[in-house]
Amino acid sequence: MTFAACALAVARKDLLTEWRSREVLPALAQFVLLALVVTLFAFDLDAASAARIAPGVLWLVVLFAGLVAFGRAFAAEKVQASLEALLLTPAGPVAIFAGKALAAAAVLLACEAVLVPGIGVFLGVGLPPLAVAAVLLSTAGMAALGCLFSALAVQTRARELLLPVLALPIWIPFVVYGAAALTGRAPQALANLLALDILVVVVAGLAARFVLDD
Amino acid sequence: MTRGVGGGKGFARPAQGGSPPISTRLRVAVLGSLLAFAAAAYMDFVFAPEDSLQGPVQRIFYLHVSSAIAAYACFALVLIGGILYLRREDPRPDRLARAAAPVGLLLTSVTFVMGMIWAKPIWNWDPSKTWDARLSSTAVLWAVYAGYILVRRFAPPGRTAARLAAVVGIVGFVDVPVVHFSVLWWRTLHPQPVIETGALPASMLAAWLVTLLAVLLLTGTLVATRYVTERNRELAEARRDRHELVRLESAAEVP
Amino acid sequence: MKPAIEARGLTQRFGRQLVLLDIDLQVAAGERVALLGDNGAGKTTLLRLLATVARPAAGELRLLGLDAVRQRSALRSRLGWLAHEPGLYPALSARENLEFFCTLHGLPRGRAVECLEQLGLTDDALRPAAELSRGRRQRLALARTLLHDPELWLLDEPDSSLDAAGRDLLGRLVSGRTLVFATHDRGLADELDARVVELRAGRVLDRGALQVVR
Repeated sequence: MTFAACALAVARKDLLTEWRSREVLPALAQFVLLALVVTLFAFDLDAASAARIAPGVLWLVVLFAGLVAFGRAFAAEKVQASLEALLLTPAGPVAIFAGKALAAAAVLLACEAVLVPGIGVFLGVGLPPLAVAAVLLSTAGMAALGCLFSALAVQTRARELLLPVLALPIWIPFVVYGAAALTGRAPQALANLLALDILVVVVAGLAARFVLDD
Repeated sequence: MTRGVGGGKGFARPAQGGSPPISTRLRVAVLGSLLAFAAAAYMDFVFAPEDSLQGPVQRIFYLHVSSAIAAYACFALVLIGGILYLRREDPRPDRLARAAAPVGLLLTSVTFVMGMIWAKPIWNWDPSKTWDARLSSTAVLWAVYAGYILVRRFAPPGRTAARLAAVVGIVGFVDVPVVHFSVLWWRTLHPQPVIETGALPASMLAAWLVTLLAVLLLTGTLVATRYVTERNRELAEARRDRHELVRLESAAEVP
Repeated sequence: MKPAIEARGLTQRFGRQLVLLDIDLQVAAGERVALLGDNGAGKTTLLRLLATVARPAAGELRLLGLDAVRQRSALRSRLGWLAHEPGLYPALSARENLEFFCTLHGLPRGRAVECLEQLGLTDDALRPAAELSRGRRQRLALARTLLHDPELWLLDEPDSSLDAAGRDLLGRLVSGRTLVFATHDRGLADELDARVVELRAGRVLDRGALQVVR
């Protein structure tokens, strides 16, 4: 079987499981909306300040929703002991990892589909299209790193506790370039994001073998 | 595959022939570091002229930049150690990475504190009012390697810890160039590099080079000390394992 | 004929604790071997080494004429490994579980139906794995192991939660195959016509150090 077919099969399996059990997505959607409600209470907002903090709220909620979405990616395989069965197939650890990361990215995308209009409704401001573009562009790289650290964290005593500690600092460059996308150097910032995506996907792909397999 | 954790190569052996024992060499290195720091103190505070604009506080520059470079060197050791470990499962590069990570973390802290002391009078720096990209990205770097040490602590000891930590060390190092270039990317308070551009007067350059040498020497000494400590610990564990093996084997022969 | 398993001096440790000590094991092609021993004797640990999902701390292991560490990827798809946990996806139906692994093995989907039939699960094909009884789940896991017709079977307590009919099925399934399995039941070893290898815990330290008793 080809790499792509195996990766897609794994992604399809994960998304089908999520669709049937509806575990992560409803909880995440609710998390997103609650985060926006908290924003409303936590800040003293008027029309001008809402427009200013909206991109920051977007990034904060995406980061923390990502931690929830990716934290579960490998926990289930570990608990069900199905990862070993997967590793004994000819698919290979990298294809398995790619499939899981793909599914996790899709879940985060669905989450962003709630978040972006949610900001419009709750804060009463439209997001700059460039901010949305930067977040969408970052999803791939964030999913690759998030799943790598998720697979790593489930092998430790600390489990989910370790994921934010590892993922957040390494995700920061996405936020840096994402924020830079709003400063009038947008094309360059978006190009940097794309380059960062490619870099991170390659590095995570190379590292996946050592994380998944003994 | 037959190499156990900490088994085989790279263990401390009794000193042979002419080379002095490790503890003596470490003592010499400690003494050398102290002398180098005394020289650096002289160069930085007496020899180098006072900066006409910034006054005496500019003298922080020498230690600030040197410890930043030494921190990067430590993180490079973590990277190289991780790559070599994953390639050949040799316990030695893993031990090197394990020794270098906390030293790098310490040097990052030094850089950080020195930078803040410097920034306070010069930019009238206050973290709640002024945001500096370099400051934040150094905090990120610190967090990455604090995570590295946490992984080592929480992972099952032995091969798994070495393997997972190696991955964190490699992926974390990807952050280092991003951190470095973020300064060029953001308009920020942090001054642009003066060393490569030759904007530094010769006497200041000389003082800085002596400081850099002293810091690198101290860094090497700290990493070597930790390396030897780790090696001795593994050696003790292996010795205890061998005792246990003998006891278990003799126990298993009992019908 | 080349032996299916040649293990010399296998040693495994978890952290500082030795769990397998200097195990030698030879299994000829076509032979069935039952690993017996108390809880904590190291049966599962040894099986995991043989299944290549864990690597030994020391010792040499050749499976089907290949080195179990260096030629692991070429070896793995020729092994059939069933862990103590069945490792099924609860939200997927019995058939979907098998079809997913068919894709990863590069097998036609029809193979899933065949294997369900062999294990007497045709009526359960469309039920989610979560709704199957424990015995049926074990059968489904056996069906998954059968999918790619492995040359060497490694089963951890395959009789757990199987009823009498299930045990008969298991006997028919593995007859004539090369098999190493762990069990607490000497009767099963007789039923499957297996050579018994007993693992015994070391007494002095009450740790799982073992000796193979032939």
